[in-house]
Amino acid sequence: MMPLSRRHLLRNAAFSGLAGLLPSGAALAAAPARGGRLVVAIDSEPPVLTSAITTAGPAQWISGKVFDGLLRYDNDFNPRPQLAQSWNVSPDGLSITFKLRPGVSWHDGKPFTSADVAFSVLQIWKKYHSRGRSTFANVVSVDTPDALTAVWHLSSPAPYILSALGSPESQILPKHLYDHGDVLTNPRNIAPVGTGPFRFVEWKRGQYIALARNPAYWDKGKPYLDQVILRVLPDGNGAMTALETGEVHLVVNPPWADIARVRKLPGIAVTRSSGFTGALAAFEFNLDKPYFKDARVRQAFAHAIDRDFLVKNVWQGYGEAADSPIPASLSDFHASNLPAYPYDLNKAAQLLDAAGFKRGANGVRFSITHDPLPVGQTYKRSAEAIRASLARIGIRMEIRSQDFAAFVRRIYTARDFDTFQYAASAGPDPAIGTQRFYWSRNFQPGVAFSNGAHYLNPEVDRLLVAAQSESDANKRRALYGRFQQIVQTDLPKIPLVSANPVHLSRGIQAFSVDAYGVMGNFADAFLVTA
Amino acid sequence: MTLHIGNVEKVPAERPFNGFVRPFIRSRRHGYVKFVARRIAQSALLFFLTILLTFALINTAPGDMVDVMAGDSGGADPGYVQLLREKYGLDKPLPVRLYNYVDQLAHLDLGYSFPQSAPVTDLIADRVGPTLLLMVSSLALAVLGALILGTAAAWNVHRLTDGAVSVLALLAYATPVFWIGLMLILVFSVKLSWFPSSGMETLFSGYTGLARIKDIAWHLVLPAITLSLFHLALFTRLLRASLLEVLRQDFVRTARAKGIGEWRVLGVHAISNALLPLVTMIGMQIGASLGGAVVVESVFAWPGLGRLAFEALNARDTNLLVGIVLFSGLVVITVNLVVDLLYGWLDPRIENV
Amino acid sequence: MARLNSFWTRYRRNRPAVAGLAIVLVVIVLGLAAPLLYPGDPWAIVAQPFLWPGEAHAPVLGTDVLGRDIASGILHGARVSLRVGLFSALFAGLIGTIIGSLAGYYAGWVDDVLMRVTEAFQTVPSFLTALIIVALFKPSVLTIIVAISIVSWPAVARLVRAETLRLRGSDFVAACATFGMSDIRIIVTQILPNCLAPLIVMVSIMIASAILIEAGLSFLGLNDPSQLSWGTMIATGRDALRSAWYMSAIPGLAILVTVVGINLVSEGLNDALNPNLRQRQS
Repeated sequence: MMPLSRRHLLRNAAFSGLAGLLPSGAALAAAPARGGRLVVAIDSEPPVLTSAITTAGPAQWISGKVFDGLLRYDNDFNPRPQLAQSWNVSPDGLSITFKLRPGVSWHDGKPFTSADVAFSVLQIWKKYHSRGRSTFANVVSVDTPDALTAVWHLSSPAPYILSALGSPESQILPKHLYDHGDVLTNPRNIAPVGTGPFRFVEWKRGQYIALARNPAYWDKGKPYLDQVILRVLPDGNGAMTALETGEVHLVVNPPWADIARVRKLPGIAVTRSSGFTGALAAFEFNLDKPYFKDARVRQAFAHAIDRDFLVKNVWQGYGEAADSPIPASLSDFHASNLPAYPYDLNKAAQLLDAAGFKRGANGVRFSITHDPLPVGQTYKRSAEAIRASLARIGIRMEIRSQDFAAFVRRIYTARDFDTFQYAASAGPDPAIGTQRFYWSRNFQPGVAFSNGAHYLNPEVDRLLVAAQSESDANKRRALYGRFQQIVQTDLPKIPLVSANPVHLSRGIQAFSVDAYGVMGNFADAFLVTA
Repeated sequence: MTLHIGNVEKVPAERPFNGFVRPFIRSRRHGYVKFVARRIAQSALLFFLTILLTFALINTAPGDMVDVMAGDSGGADPGYVQLLREKYGLDKPLPVRLYNYVDQLAHLDLGYSFPQSAPVTDLIADRVGPTLLLMVSSLALAVLGALILGTAAAWNVHRLTDGAVSVLALLAYATPVFWIGLMLILVFSVKLSWFPSSGMETLFSGYTGLARIKDIAWHLVLPAITLSLFHLALFTRLLRASLLEVLRQDFVRTARAKGIGEWRVLGVHAISNALLPLVTMIGMQIGASLGGAVVVESVFAWPGLGRLAFEALNARDTNLLVGIVLFSGLVVITVNLVVDLLYGWLDPRIENV
Repeated sequence: MARLNSFWTRYRRNRPAVAGLAIVLVVIVLGLAAPLLYPGDPWAIVAQPFLWPGEAHAPVLGTDVLGRDIASGILHGARVSLRVGLFSALFAGLIGTIIGSLAGYYAGWVDDVLMRVTEAFQTVPSFLTALIIVALFKPSVLTIIVAISIVSWPAVARLVRAETLRLRGSDFVAACATFGMSDIRIIVTQILPNCLAPLIVMVSIMIASAILIEAGLSFLGLNDPSQLSWGTMIATGRDALRSAWYMSAIPGLAILVTVVGINLVSEGLNDALNPNLRQRQS
């Protein structure tokens, strides 16, 4: 039984990946032109070039072009065939049968078979992919009756698995290159061999990663591009300048504040990815600190944060105010009529008074610390805006700064914090993206991006566990609906802004055509002149 | 990065290894070889301790390599984190890790960088070329500029040219380096399109030989100018001050009295003597160029060691970071040694402090 | 008093130095006046973001990316930047003086050990060291001051050592020793006062360097998020550099002007103090 098709909310249609086909204002372009070299500006280098063993963002941008997954997902989140031509979930939800595409070969010429699938899920994703360890925890064995059939056996139903089989998330690796020796230090990690539309050519550290067209790609006629070069330009200004001078076609992560200026230049198109690539920024409390034990204090904070201001001035309009830990773009699960916390400083002050935290002689109720995620400038700016608001209701918030390693250590291991802010992907399914933050069993000091607040609500636990293995889509939706109602009343963390990545480009089309956006495989992308 | 204006006669004393030159003079009076050997041994020991200190420092800082990797991964579990720690040897106590590192060094092995999946030696070797290129060209530009401006200023002391040069030097020193870089890109790359905005060479151009050299040179112009301006300011002031000192001294007056032409006085005697402190200062600035080019490398996306060190820092990549520190230290020590020898050669009648 | 007068007369003769002094005094006064002219929090969001200076309804120097008053930031930032500069230079001066004077006075193995340590600190590139210290421990005004002091003291130590070595052999020091004066008293009362001139010049330059280093660290993201310094303002305006360049240009200009002023003052000090030194030497 396949998951029901999901309808995108109408208001998100303008922001869907379809925008990638149309430069701003222009009509649908000409037929795809063959050839050419696409140059993409990325702002950091990945540790390795296969995202089967890491979930670092840069790895996902690159390796999705070299590797295929079993499925891909269109803009409405419907699964579509990639290496799997068809799939079937048994009525009891305990086995999934994949029929694989024939005639696919690895970049080194060897044929792709079901043995590669079995190897990837059992020996790679379950062991070395941080999300895969829980996503595929229920997969106990894989039968391969023939070279083109793989039957997965699950210990209990896991409906979310079918949302997690895209290449950037779960890549099929070649068994013949990985089944001996140590996976984590396999030289193929930095010189990958996949089945995707582009072959790996060269990685000049600090400068670029070069990919070339795979002439034997199973999707005949594609890719259109001859080469894809990913240039490493860590400075935001540098990347934008390169776009202006024509040295790059696509900037993956433009600095928010400069987008408004550059988009006005001739030929520049703005594309917003949809779906799985978004991140939800949230403000999280340390529930073990005395101030935050009272829900009214947390709700006061929610009233004191002006989300619209953040969207407008920190995300420069490229985001939506979030009212739930499940973003509105995951329309299958996002609930409506959730408790609202409009920006209202008086209400916030009242709640704080009621909770017993009156203003002191100097106008201050209490002082707390705050640690924003030290990736880019966004969360620092957001923290500063929040600090300014909180100051007006008598809460002094001190912003602390450290680099990523120290941040992870401080928040998740030492738990030496009052509040912190971060963004995390909420997809592709709430069981994968959202559960980890609210499930009491996921309070694991030492593990990053787990239940940092130390939230413990038995009812929420029950709902999450039930929804994890619930095969009926309607029942699942209801469970997550109830879940959202509770956590938005409890507010162990306050969802702030849900933002999908924005990309600036010139002279390139059809590069963001499905749910993985720019992480997709670029098989449909082509260059246009002028 | 301190500027030592005016006290030119003090500069020789500031050199590291200044005692190395003394033996040339003292050689008849003291055990020369013993002295040099003792100095080198002491310095080697200290350097070694510095490396160990750096290693210990990085390992005591909050967060480690696995925090970054697992953090990047988002949503791991304790088993995964433990697996990684064991793999990278991070579960062992600090003294053990220190010992292992020293053992590795003794085998001339700089270790493996797990965050970058490559041996440290390879990573450093890749970046040495671009780093040296940037460093040498910026220092060369600075010296050339200083020779011209400093001489012009000293010759026209207290007149308009002198004032103008001083103002220029001051502005070059006082403007933040990244600001200069960004402005140069804006004017010369975006508006005028004379030079590329970033990177070291045009990718996949297929250039070889002379064409490639020209391509790299074109990419080098803006970053080298940016980096050189700060040094230009220092060297100009220094050269001007020491030229003024030298021009007042006896042997110059003697040369003038002997009737040797103005230009020869200036060129041969004055400048060659004023070069001494300049050479010393260049030696001191090598260190600044190696690590301090981080900002310039960031702005221009130049693949240098400074940026690599910054990335290693963020990734808590101990092997790589200590490797870079070790490499830079060795370069600085070698350069200072050369400077000392050069110093002795340039003026054998050097007076000791 | 007479010495002070003659010092001032010599200083006054150098017109750029007087201009520099004026600049520095203006900066200090503006910093001190910040709470009077712009009471309240410089971090407060007062108006719409991205307002250019001179726009209608805009504060005099415009607003930054979040709508904070840039003029308020400049004035309050002066306090922080000057504080970072001053304390870094003073600590570096203190450490360097102690180590340098001990090395120069006692010579022998004390000198050897201390000088090897000094060299060790000088072989690692200084900006990189500062970077490592600040990045590894949380970026705050205190860590930045400590880091800058750590990379700056070797130069002071070498200078003080050189002066101490020179003065150690002089007659008045020998005289004090025969009177039975303790070593420490000799160092502090006889030797150090005579090093003061070049020391002051060096320390004043270090103030300017410290301000520049702090700006560089801020550019790389290592600024103190709770103290508004000029470096922080530049870092904040960095992303909007191409469209709203005034956000980075104005604090950049403040740094430029201040550093120029400090440089001119130290030049003036050098010229005014040097003749004194020369007389002593003969």
